[in-house]
Amino acid sequence: MNEARKSPPKKMVVELEVNGTRHELLVEPRRTLLEVLREELGLTGAKEGCGLGACGTCTVLMDGRPVRACLTLAVEAQGASILTVEGLADTVADREPGALHPIQEAFVDAHGVQCGFCTPGMILAAKALLDEEPDPDEARIREALGGQVCRCTGYTKIVEAVKLAARRLSGEEVKA
Amino acid sequence: MSRYIGQSLPRRDARLKATGEARFTADLSLPFMLHAAVLRSPYPHARIVRLDTSRAERLPGVKAVLTARDTSGVKWGVFRYTRDQEFLAREKVRYVGEEVAAVAAESEDIAREALELIEVEYEILPAVFDPLSAVADDAPRIHDHAERNINIHVPIHVGDVDRAFDECDYVHTERTVSEEESYFMTEPYAVLAHCDRQGTVEVWMPNASPHTKAKGLANALGLPVSKVHVRHVSVGGAFGGRSDMFPGEYIAARLSQMTQRPVKLVYTREENSIAVRQGHSMVVESTFGFKRDGTLHAVDVTAYMDGGAYSSTGPIATSVPFLCFEQTYRVPNVRYNGYRVYTNKPIRGMIRTHGRAWACNVDMQLDLAAAALGLDPVEIRRRNAVRTGDTTPTQSKIFKMDSLATIKAVAEASRFREKWGKLPKWRGIGIGCVSVMSGFPMGIRGGSAAMVKFDEDAGVTVISGVVDNGQGNENVVLQIAAEALGVAPGAIQLVASDTEVTPIDQGAYSQATTLCSGNAVRLACEDARRQIFEIASDMLEAAEEDLELEDGKVFVRGSPSRAVPLRNVIRMGLLKGKNVIGHGSFGPNVDQTREWIKNPKGQLAAAFSYGSAVVEVEVDPETGFVRVLDAWVAHDCGKAINPKEVEGQMEGGLAMGGHGGILLEACKWHEGANLNPDFLGYKVPLAPDMPPIHPFIVESEDPFGPFGAKEGGLSISMCTAQAYSNAIANAIGTHIREFPHTPDRVLEAIEKRAVTGDP
Ligand code: FES
Ligand code: FES
Repeated sequence: MNEARKSPPKKMVVELEVNGTRHELLVEPRRTLLEVLREELGLTGAKEGCGLGACGTCTVLMDGRPVRACLTLAVEAQGASILTVEGLADTVADREPGALHPIQEAFVDAHGVQCGFCTPGMILAAKALLDEEPDPDEARIREALGGQVCRCTGYTKIVEAVKLAARRLSGEEVKA
Repeated sequence: MSRYIGQSLPRRDARLKATGEARFTADLSLPFMLHAAVLRSPYPHARIVRLDTSRAERLPGVKAVLTARDTSGVKWGVFRYTRDQEFLAREKVRYVGEEVAAVAAESEDIAREALELIEVEYEILPAVFDPLSAVADDAPRIHDHAERNINIHVPIHVGDVDRAFDECDYVHTERTVSEEESYFMTEPYAVLAHCDRQGTVEVWMPNASPHTKAKGLANALGLPVSKVHVRHVSVGGAFGGRSDMFPGEYIAARLSQMTQRPVKLVYTREENSIAVRQGHSMVVESTFGFKRDGTLHAVDVTAYMDGGAYSSTGPIATSVPFLCFEQTYRVPNVRYNGYRVYTNKPIRGMIRTHGRAWACNVDMQLDLAAAALGLDPVEIRRRNAVRTGDTTPTQSKIFKMDSLATIKAVAEASRFREKWGKLPKWRGIGIGCVSVMSGFPMGIRGGSAAMVKFDEDAGVTVISGVVDNGQGNENVVLQIAAEALGVAPGAIQLVASDTEVTPIDQGAYSQATTLCSGNAVRLACEDARRQIFEIASDMLEAAEEDLELEDGKVFVRGSPSRAVPLRNVIRMGLLKGKNVIGHGSFGPNVDQTREWIKNPKGQLAAAFSYGSAVVEVEVDPETGFVRVLDAWVAHDCGKAINPKEVEGQMEGGLAMGGHGGILLEACKWHEGANLNPDFLGYKVPLAPDMPPIHPFIVESEDPFGPFGAKEGGLSISMCTAQAYSNAIANAIGTHIREFPHTPDRVLEAIEKRAVTGDP
């Protein structure tokens, strides 16, 4: 005789916009935004480093603000606009095909990427900061990235990347 | 002249990682994939009396349930004599978290639900949780073969230590203790395995050596190595914690064999902390004897390391702290007894700052001796530092190592001597040094090989076993190939770490990648050049030795107009049946008869790096909180292939070894259960915590390294721990003997010092 499975919870309809595309999804209320992004939409740029809200590798922008996708239920994102690392370059108007967002470029050029597991979350946290404050000082950058764990870099070159991105975004410095 | 060596070119993989395109194991999926989950032991030591999986098997959606009954019983151990771990517990469990059973099901939810239906009856056995209790006569025996639970004993004795102590002017004994560190690589362990109907198994998992994994898996699955393909995948950090075999990859592969479907197993953060590897906790007792002039004359060290339930890299882990010491400071008479002891705790491996209680004990001894003998900490290190031309007590020749330049760099930049003894109250400055080996004898798996091939349009593909865990190893070999072929690195494709295609490589866990993988790629490119020149010499009517290859052109040296595009040379080769394929194979100059326990002498590594660090701290005497004001680090890496990347290794090393290792990181326990396996309970350094770091690269031009390069970065993760610890001691007027130096321990030391006045 078969064991009976616990009955699966009822699903709900969630409408959300991800990287500019509208989706209507049927999800169980307990599903996190991270699960929906990674498993339903195939957007694996946001990572699950802990699932507890402590590491920041799952950071995405919800209506422009950084959120922990592992702690955000998909139903909480109802009607919201989500930006993941995959959609970041498309936010640049008239970009060349294949071109990166200036923050992504800066992480590459300033050697702010080692293993890269923290990088998507780091970059989105940096975008949220620079959208609000285009010219943050070093202490402010470190504070704004304070919830993003990086185990590889010691943060020095990540902070330098954010500074470089700020200079490039303000037009103070042009990429060679 | 170097065009690509010594250039801080952006890393090739960085673009993929910055866009989210880089795929880590948990990001992968295959059609018809099943999901696995593992049932783990809730007890630290227990006999499995009954294990009934029938209810789990009947749950709809469950496709297979795996226990020790379904395995061949092959045991894993890095060495033949350390094979003590079955991938699923058979008769008993030895730590909280050990694998007891696993399920493959249509979804992760079903797999986890099925775990709840597995019935296990345990007979709880007495357990032991620290190495000193475990070696007691009446301690519970964890493995039948290990008396007093001693897993590994490394005895080293050189010179006449007892007599030498009598010849010393200053002799002092210290005891230091450290808790376990945890790796906390940001990527939790995951594995995807797919066994097809030809019986071939493909596996993806974060690893530091796909060839080691393929061999271990092939043994356990009863397959030839050629039937196990460990594939390339992005790896989210290793730091020593991805080195040997883990049950997870066996479980996924075996479940895939049983179901003939792809199986994915993704560990939670907590499982990653408990069921992969942790650092060793240690108790270290040292006696150091110095001559009046500050030269170190005799050392006697006994270390007890808590190895947890199984051997893992035991013999290596028990030796490396000693070896790093003997490469760092000269000592003619030395005795070392290293004991790795089984306990009922998770399995321990090598970690980036392996042995903080060991290394910091050494540098504490140096500072105490300096004070007693009227020297300053820089001077005593200058006098004792191992340098070019030395031979270590266990008979490794140091061919090239500019230790003194690293000491000078950090001492001068920090103005150490001007500050020493003159800083305001509660401020302190400290220095530490360490040497790290570029590799060690690893038998048939100790070298690397590479191939280079060309497309008809002269596009270059390098095929190398090189493994990148995030430290930039792939980029190292790309820059080396670019230099050797005169082609921009961006124009070179790299096929790396895929056991179906790439030759055996020593892996990314012995600091030998730049030396071995780098040399193999260099040799392959030089071989290709020779073939290219052979073909081009007819085309250009010039002798082969007069030809040059640069910017995609072969030309005659001195008359660059006599040139032919590389493309044409490659095509001419194809016409003549001479397809240019370069081959390079490299084995380091080490003594293969050297053995960790039975014969710990002979050339250990072809090259040795050296790192020195100074940090300046301020201690809050009310809270015990340590603020790090500035840090200076210098590293002799032979030659920096990519200086910014070497700096990145130094900065990351300081964060993990110095800042995390001395101020924050420790596993907490209750009866063998790890209480802080997550980022909430285990503190790792964050961006606002970190001091400004001033890195200095010292280039001693190694005679054996590719373009002079050797290990880059690890020295710093160790020597910064020593510098942090000594700086705190300088600030509060006493050394702290427990690691890490958390605020409560700092306060306790300040209070004790106020009462006893001990340094
Ligand atoms: S995975 Fe969301 S914070 Fe760690
Ligand atoms: S680059 Fe590896 S965690 Fe940040």
